[in-house]
Amino acid sequence: MAAEYLKRYDDNDPGLRFQDLVYTGNFTDMEPVPDGILGDRVMKSRAQTGVLEKVSHEAVLEEHFSIAELNDLNNYIAWNIWDVLVMRATEGASGMIPRQEYEILAVMHEFYRYPELIRMTTDEIGAQGVIDIGASARGEIGTKINCVHDWSLGAVAYGMGRCALLALEAIKPDDYIEESSTILKFMQRVNWGKRQDGWILNSQDRYRCQIHDDDLLERLQGEMHRFDEGDPNRDTLIQFNAAAELLSFLDHFDCRLGLGDTGPYPLANGNLLIVRDLFCNEEAYHWSDVCDHEDVPYCYTVVLEIDPKAMDLQEIRVNDISTTFTRPKNYIPHIAAGAVFVREKWDTPMGEIYPVPIADLAPRLTGVQNATFKLYTKLSRMCRRQLITNGMYVYYVGMILPHLRRAETYEKACTDYDLWEIDKRVSDAYYEISKRGFAEVVVPNKIFSGAGYLPFSADADLGRSKYFWS
Amino acid sequence: MTIIAEGYNCFETDKDAVGTAIFLPDPKAVISLIQSGKLKEHIVLAQGGTTTFLAPALSMGASGVITLSGAPESHLGILSREFQIPCIMTTYLLDSDARYVIGGDNDAHFGAVIEALNGKQVRLHCQDGDTGRIELL
Repeated sequence: MAAEYLKRYDDNDPGLRFQDLVYTGNFTDMEPVPDGILGDRVMKSRAQTGVLEKVSHEAVLEEHFSIAELNDLNNYIAWNIWDVLVMRATEGASGMIPRQEYEILAVMHEFYRYPELIRMTTDEIGAQGVIDIGASARGEIGTKINCVHDWSLGAVAYGMGRCALLALEAIKPDDYIEESSTILKFMQRVNWGKRQDGWILNSQDRYRCQIHDDDLLERLQGEMHRFDEGDPNRDTLIQFNAAAELLSFLDHFDCRLGLGDTGPYPLANGNLLIVRDLFCNEEAYHWSDVCDHEDVPYCYTVVLEIDPKAMDLQEIRVNDISTTFTRPKNYIPHIAAGAVFVREKWDTPMGEIYPVPIADLAPRLTGVQNATFKLYTKLSRMCRRQLITNGMYVYYVGMILPHLRRAETYEKACTDYDLWEIDKRVSDAYYEISKRGFAEVVVPNKIFSGAGYLPFSADADLGRSKYFWS
Repeated sequence: MTIIAEGYNCFETDKDAVGTAIFLPDPKAVISLIQSGKLKEHIVLAQGGTTTFLAPALSMGASGVITLSGAPESHLGILSREFQIPCIMTTYLLDSDARYVIGGDNDAHFGAVIEALNGKQVRLHCQDGDTGRIELL
């Protein structure tokens, strides 16, 4: 008898509900939309164009979207953001890092600045070159060309950025249409190249991200350590995975850019493979010096084999922000085998990535724990303004950094486009975001409820001028 | 058994999380607890559901976590699952109708939960798929 979770891949299966909430967005005169597989199906059914179906190579190479396609993407992205983040939005103030504040500034910054960076990069490498950026992820581990970064281009830089600026009344719905299309086209090209099945997002494919080439998966599986009953290596791997994941969050200022899951990859024995990149030491950030001092590499890749029968798996989602969720929730006790790999630097060639036997992880675990405590102490001494500025860089620079690196346009972005400068419009907004609960209440409500993603006018011109005021 | 509070259960576990609840208001309190060497005696109690605030406590092995906001999908919820540290989020008292409201004025509600739990010996019951329960010992 087939495992229960496999039913989720039947054509008409609605999937499970992971939350009780429902989504309305711009469909105020229609039935609310649920989360998960059924929600994706409903959103596709409401599209006016084919942009949410599998798209062809030729379509991806086209320069711009139509207004109708932009509105379909706008609606779908709004639902997708709600789907993956609405429950996370309950977490409130950090007590450590003013995340809501830095997020608001960063998303606005991205919306303003990414279009010119994307145009410059596309001019340098061509549309096919952008697709090839995504395709590079198929044969690599320890690369930030991954779900969360590629999703962020559309969902954060375009979706949240435009949403926040609309909420601030800094723009109107028909401003920056061409720039919106530029960002979304780049997102579409990268994701299409990565997936190569016509879909753009994991939610469109029942939350699967099975992107890695077979030969890479075989290489990873060749290093797997199988856990017998009572094997202490099992606890070692679980502890290491958790500790490295924690440091990856901390190094990225409590955001998910440090974490990258792909999968689930079905194995011949019926188990599932999750490939997890944990970016513990990003050299672009000056506070990562404490990670250097503890010899923490750029990335630990933890490969986990999960037994779906033992946990009676009902559904597994690798969502578009690179995170694995299951029902039942606790998959950790059902890890049947594992392996750990190291990529020392972001540009270390794949041929130089090496495995670490689980029995040898103890000193590396100590290094990760020491770096975590040192980084925590360092952050606790930063003033609010420093924390917001640094966090803003983690989003604004970090979300496009891997694509610029791969395209070899990062240096040009720094020198010719002042990547690390803060746009005056965003600098000025710093003084506004703490007023009237703008960062903590207004914008999160607009972003996470789906209420702030206003459509483009049907008859608007793609090249309509910026700063239009009626 | 005296269950006094409930919240979202981050993951299902039979682990027995018992200890003295200690409210941690700021990073200094977190560092102080780590340096005291008594972390494992405590169930840590934090207001927010983010992970960085409690990072050293998670890394060094807290027995359990209680928060006043957040959900299993929050970063702290994810990390507690990875560490297998029982964790109950968006906790509320069973003898009160007050609940956490996103973006609302939660000070009185938070204060009441902190007063009811801080310094008390508690056990976390986290077997259920949805709801975690806090027993006063």
